[in-house]
Amino acid sequence: MRKVLFYVPLVAFLALTLFLLSGLFSDPRERESASLNKALPDFALADLMQPKKIWTPEKLKGETYLLNVWGTWCPTCNAELGYLAELRKQGVKIVGLYYELPRDPTFDAPFNLAVLQQDVQQKLTQQGDPYQFNMLDIKRSLSLDLGVSGAPETFIIDANGIVRAHHIGDINPVVWRSKLAPLYQQWRTP
Amino acid sequence: MIVEAGQLALTFVFALSLLLAVVPLLGSFTANQRLLLLAKPLAFGQFAFALVAMAALVYAFCNNDFTVINVAQNSSSTLPWYYQVTASFGSHEGSMLLWVLMLAFWTALVAQFSKALPLLLQGRILGILGLISAGFVAFSLFMSNPFLRSLPFFPVEGRDLNPLLQDFGMIMHPPMLYMGYVGFAVAFAFAIAALMSGRFDSVWARWVRPWALAAWLFLTLGIMLGSWWAYNELGWGGWWFWDPVENASFMPWLVGTALIHSLAVTEKRGTFKSWTVLLALAAFALSLVGAFLVRSGVLVSVHSFATDPGRGLYLLVFLLLVVGGSLLLYGRRMNSVRSQARYQLFSREMLLWGNNIFLLTACLIVFLGTLFPLFHKELGLGSISIGEPFFNQMFYYLSIPFALLLGLGPWVRWKQQQVMPLMRPLSLVAIAALAIALGVLSSMQSVQANLALLGMLLGAWVGISALAEVVLRLRQFGSIGKGITKLNASHYGMTLAHIGFAVLVIGVAMTKTYTTERDVRMLEGDTATVAGYEFTLTDVYDLNGANYGGQAAELDVRQNGQFVTHLHAEKRFYRIQRTVMTESAVHARLSRDLYVSLAEELPGGAWALRIQVKPFVRWIWLGGLLMALGALLALADKRYRRKTTTTDATVAGVADA
Repeated sequence: MRKVLFYVPLVAFLALTLFLLSGLFSDPRERESASLNKALPDFALADLMQPKKIWTPEKLKGETYLLNVWGTWCPTCNAELGYLAELRKQGVKIVGLYYELPRDPTFDAPFNLAVLQQDVQQKLTQQGDPYQFNMLDIKRSLSLDLGVSGAPETFIIDANGIVRAHHIGDINPVVWRSKLAPLYQQWRTP
Repeated sequence: MIVEAGQLALTFVFALSLLLAVVPLLGSFTANQRLLLLAKPLAFGQFAFALVAMAALVYAFCNNDFTVINVAQNSSSTLPWYYQVTASFGSHEGSMLLWVLMLAFWTALVAQFSKALPLLLQGRILGILGLISAGFVAFSLFMSNPFLRSLPFFPVEGRDLNPLLQDFGMIMHPPMLYMGYVGFAVAFAFAIAALMSGRFDSVWARWVRPWALAAWLFLTLGIMLGSWWAYNELGWGGWWFWDPVENASFMPWLVGTALIHSLAVTEKRGTFKSWTVLLALAAFALSLVGAFLVRSGVLVSVHSFATDPGRGLYLLVFLLLVVGGSLLLYGRRMNSVRSQARYQLFSREMLLWGNNIFLLTACLIVFLGTLFPLFHKELGLGSISIGEPFFNQMFYYLSIPFALLLGLGPWVRWKQQQVMPLMRPLSLVAIAALAIALGVLSSMQSVQANLALLGMLLGAWVGISALAEVVLRLRQFGSIGKGITKLNASHYGMTLAHIGFAVLVIGVAMTKTYTTERDVRMLEGDTATVAGYEFTLTDVYDLNGANYGGQAAELDVRQNGQFVTHLHAEKRFYRIQRTVMTESAVHARLSRDLYVSLAEELPGGAWALRIQVKPFVRWIWLGGLLMALGALLALADKRYRRKTTTTDATVAGVADA
């Protein structure tokens, strides 16, 4: 028994090497969104501006659209608002998923919808408003289910409510033309 | 021409390392004294040529020789000269050469300071170091040559050094870190040599201790500098990110810390032998695993060098040979080694055993947290990531019992300790700690049952206990005055390092609890108040640096109307790399940092700024510095330089073989 014990480190190390070896030949950066080519996870989120209105996946079906995760606190999101607004003028339907930051109960003011609405209104007036409407993901549950790792991120959702593409980072003319526009076209005409 | 000389020098390093790997080891098995004696000159030669190679590379960087691919990709003619020097080890290729140089340096140091060792052991240690060195030099020479030219087509200007690396902390961070990583190779070589001969006694432990301490010293400094760099350079005031590569440096540190404690037991009591040897192997093994993780692209991290599976594969095979081979040897040899020493449940041995258990648990947590995403993915379970909350929570739970034991440890005697005699001094220490923690907190903030209070209590407990223990020991010499010169340097070192840990704990707890952070929108002339400090934006103007442009903001800080300081924050745009960097303005005091970073320009000429007041954040690095100083003091201990047994042991060593 005692003899075997001294080989434990070797065995553990060899097991580790196996993992490292297989890790070597797979790309760590390839991070497929787990939700890709699946229906949107189930949700019921309030409209940011008309909180009485509740959005569910059912209500969103019927048309291909971009689901854009953003927040006024996120500089890159604010920067892309202008270009997204242009896309809206070109007829692209964009739905905003407002990502509310977690709050520290000690330091941050409690959540206040009126203040947030005002913030958002102001930002959208300043930078341009790309959104048909915004859903408020106050608990970040939908963002979490979708595998959002930061903002901005954009999903292409087809008419049947299936997630077809996931883009991390901002949308600018180059990204749109080279990556997202072809996908959008592809899934708009099924 | 100079570059070719560098290439040639590196080739010589390779040849010498091969000789160093073969000749003395051969000598050790054939009892050939002349072969064993060759180890030393070979080690010196290896170091000399490694130095020439590195110098040639630095020369190429400083002379903007863009025909060298490495220079073209990591430097530019507009880069200030001191960053041109550091750019020479900013890339994968250059840092590998630095690694080789450091290893050659350690090997030469061992050759120089091992006169007291038996010739046989000396030859084996140097031979093993040569073997490791040969692996790395071959890697540098064949897989990632820093001297490759791109002739005949070469760029007229380089791509510049990554702006993140253009910082003073970055000048010092990699060399220190590598000194630490590579330094554990020495302890590793000692362990292997001991496994080969089957001799692990107190003498062996005493030989290893200073080397392990020195490596640990550098690793501590390296990690501390890295944290300080991240704080200054990444622009949001964080100081530890649980990034895979940070973790890769933290794991050998944790094991190294366990090692220097376990070595104490082996030296003083001749026990914990198999444990100590395993730790010595593990510390270097984890350094190698770290090098693999950074350079293979298996994990995604801000630190990662460009991905190349060929290099990864080489390192993995190397890892397998070195670590696998040594663990195999460990398994074969170690089961015959027995420790005879006996000790009671309440003894210093047991407490140090506890120390090791906690440190290794910490290491295991970091290991699993870092590699779990990889395991998960390779088992086909999909991608996941493990973030700060996991590590923070785990370390929170671990550090409480660890700190409690740490306060107790130095008081307890070897073999056995009666409980009663310790009750009085320790309860006094506990009361003093309570009083100080509450006093400090109530004078600065309100006293609440939170992390800060816990950190203060633990920190005060460890710190005061360490101080009181020294006073007690000094008294045992008769009077404190007499004792001061009599107490071992290593005892002072231990105390200082323990105080460093206390300082670190306090710093972390206070910063985590009481950091105030606000993102504000400011026009020139606007004032924002954060944690009682009034920040007034006085000016924003365009910057024009050597290789960057951008904007700078000037702020005045007042507290209760009193002028505190002037702050200068920059948002740099590096022209060649086309990246934006935040140069935060930091006003540092022992009790708090004011930290301002310039975010982006808003419509209407306003600017977004992030203002933070971070109490005690300095203490985190101060703690690290104290630990390193403690190690330095311990290294100065006289007993590591005794030369009495030299001649007998040399003769005996050769006769053994």
